[in-house]
Amino acid sequence: MMRISTQVLFESGAASMGELQTSLLKTQQQIAAGRRILTPADDPVASARALEVTQSQSVNTQYGLNRQSATAALTQVEGALSGVTSLMQDVKIAVVAAGNSTLSDTERGYLATELKGRLDELLGLANTRDAQGNYMFSGYQSNTQAFVQTATGATYQGDSGIQLLQVDASRQMAVGNSGQSVFQGGGQDMFKTLTDLINLFQTPGAPVPATLAALSGNVDLALTNVLTVRASVGSRLQELDALNTTGSDRDLQYTQTLSSLQDLDYTKAITQLSQKQLTLEAAQQSFVKVSQLSLFNFL
Amino acid sequence: MATNILSIGQSALAAAQAGLNTTGHNIANASTPGYSRQVVIQGTANAQNFGFGFMGQGTEISTIQRVYSDFLGVQVQSAQASSSGLGNYYTQIQQINNMLADPAAGISPALQNFFSGVQDVASNPTSMPSRQAALSAAQTLASSLNSMAGRLDEISQGVNSQVQSSISAINTYAQQIAQLNDSIGKAQRATGQPPNDLLDKRDQVVLDLSKEIKATVVKQGDGSYNVFIGNGQSLVVGTATSTLVPVASPTNPGQIDVAYKASNGNVIPLGSSSLVGGNLGGLVDFRTKSLAPAQNALGRVAIGLASNFNAQHQAGFDLNGVAGGAFFTVPSPVVGANSGNAGTAVMGASISNANALTTSDYTLRYDGTNYTLTRLSDNAVTTFATFPQTVDGVDLNLTSGAAVAGDSFLIRPTVNGASGFGVAITDPAKFAAAGQTGAVGDNSNALLLAKLQTTNTLGNGTTTIQGAYSQLVSEVGNKTRELGVTSSAADNLLSEATNSQQSRSGVNLDEEATNLLRYQQAYQAAGKVMSIASQLFDVLLSIGR
Repeated sequence: MMRISTQVLFESGAASMGELQTSLLKTQQQIAAGRRILTPADDPVASARALEVTQSQSVNTQYGLNRQSATAALTQVEGALSGVTSLMQDVKIAVVAAGNSTLSDTERGYLATELKGRLDELLGLANTRDAQGNYMFSGYQSNTQAFVQTATGATYQGDSGIQLLQVDASRQMAVGNSGQSVFQGGGQDMFKTLTDLINLFQTPGAPVPATLAALSGNVDLALTNVLTVRASVGSRLQELDALNTTGSDRDLQYTQTLSSLQDLDYTKAITQLSQKQLTLEAAQQSFVKVSQLSLFNFL
Repeated sequence: MATNILSIGQSALAAAQAGLNTTGHNIANASTPGYSRQVVIQGTANAQNFGFGFMGQGTEISTIQRVYSDFLGVQVQSAQASSSGLGNYYTQIQQINNMLADPAAGISPALQNFFSGVQDVASNPTSMPSRQAALSAAQTLASSLNSMAGRLDEISQGVNSQVQSSISAINTYAQQIAQLNDSIGKAQRATGQPPNDLLDKRDQVVLDLSKEIKATVVKQGDGSYNVFIGNGQSLVVGTATSTLVPVASPTNPGQIDVAYKASNGNVIPLGSSSLVGGNLGGLVDFRTKSLAPAQNALGRVAIGLASNFNAQHQAGFDLNGVAGGAFFTVPSPVVGANSGNAGTAVMGASISNANALTTSDYTLRYDGTNYTLTRLSDNAVTTFATFPQTVDGVDLNLTSGAAVAGDSFLIRPTVNGASGFGVAITDPAKFAAAGQTGAVGDNSNALLLAKLQTTNTLGNGTTTIQGAYSQLVSEVGNKTRELGVTSSAADNLLSEATNSQQSRSGVNLDEEATNLLRYQQAYQAAGKVMSIASQLFDVLLSIGR
């Protein structure tokens, strides 16, 4: 038979109630915080993993923001290029009209005036600025005006740099096009073509058909070039849409992973809470009963 | 004949009274810490030969004995030392664990915000607000790292002051044990009987001492205790004591170490291996195994970020077309020359490759011909005879002077990493986002800077900066969890040992109530014997009347 000292009886009662209280408090704190992990010690592996998933999620969110910037920039480029397209289509109409041999010098003069307006408009489009005042078609020289008009057309003052954005973990996307490639690429120079046309129409007498045909061919080349660039911009916008979808899928996955790592199963926690409460009450009641048992009560 | 009965009755009365006294003493001390119940050892008095046989002469008390087992006592002391040691380590590490607990307040969100800011600059390289936001996020990150380093420093100051109070407690206990050795010896020599309450008091002081450090007690032939600590350093020998003294660490003056002052006045530093168990052992364990590694790990995160970011930043050009400068200030390694060095050598250490850094400290020793560099985390040794040397990304150099045999240095590459981390630029235009000069819209360097967030750079290219921080969190979490388990196991062991000791030595009030009744009855019976003896005497007197 083991002797029980009276002190041990009280101390072990206090100790076991203390343990139950600590455990009850822990569950209560978990419920109050809504988190399964209160400190890294509760689940070291999950805590470290949660930090990494949080970073992945934050990076993914940042790629989403980058895609927003990319979409905004590309939409602005697309807006300018659609202006350029319809402008060049108007030019094409004027060139076709000029081919009519019944036109008088005066009437060709009207066409020349119209094309002058178109040239100004084209320069305006080529020197479009974004919301922050940056020239969209100057490459890296975004604070320098892209094109300056000359007697024979316009000269490009930007560079061939193209701004890239990190739109996904392994995808850097060009969010612009150098003005040179848009306006002076594809074997033509829009400004020169327009200037040549204006000069041609201002010259008295019907234009030499071969000259007109060559210029008309340049207008076609310009249209093809701008449409090619637009197609590339469009496909980039489409890619951004697709990346947005996978990005938000991934965000959902990260949220779910984080939730399974950190979040509390409330049903389980509340069941545990009432269970522990019951145990503590039982321990308290039994302690009171046992500690009252003393031979001295009968002396 | 009647006088004989009277004296027998009187001896019984005295024995019953002693029993009642002892029972009362037991009841009174039922909850006195360290008290062992006492019992009256009673025997028959020498019988007298009357010719027809030996007639009993009543009872006598041979001694009052305390019920105490040396074996169980030693078990409790040793369980107490390991329980206090682990318990204190657990309490200390919880401070770091709690500091890392809130995922919304740690380094992670600051690090993520900073890199978001860099990405924002990549999206808008010419925007001053974006650049300013990135700089502000860098400032926030710097102050998070600084404040976490400050908190760790506070904890280390706390350890210093606790080491000092533990040392003074140990010295006080040593003196008390020596005094009790003296009093017990005197009492025993004077009476030949054990001074039970003094013995209890001494065992209790030894138990209190075990709360501070693991102590070995060797009981001497005369009953006095000799107490040893560590690797056999004597703390108490008979009535003489030695003391522990707090000393500034010879290689790291900000740290309070423990030294042993022998009775001849020599002061010998005690290494962490000889300070085992008890609060002091727990503190020293915590400091060497958890606190210093945590400071170093946080420092490595800071230095890793600063070095890698600076290198990329310096490869770019700012808004004015000027080549990028240092974005962050990179803290330098700390070299502590042993204050006992006889040579004049001044060692220099600098970081040449942050990605090769470990979270360990290093000791450098000179034996007269060769230098031995020991990595403290795994005791890996590098031996060389000349400088410069590069080990784990740290360049070592002999700045000036010369070492002599026996000189040593403590090199701590990353300890100040987080406290010295800062943002070096204040002008948002100086953020080098461009990859070429004179191209304000060029964001290519900003893109490369942003990529550093997800590139495995640290630990020789095995982990990201965030990953290195997660490692710290996981290491602290794992250690805390482990200590939670081991310290509660040690607590259980202690309470089991205490229970077995108490089951033998503790007071049970029901038992004492029984004894009370028993001795009460014995007292009454003895009284009756005496009253009958008196009546018998009366009969004799009435005959003579």
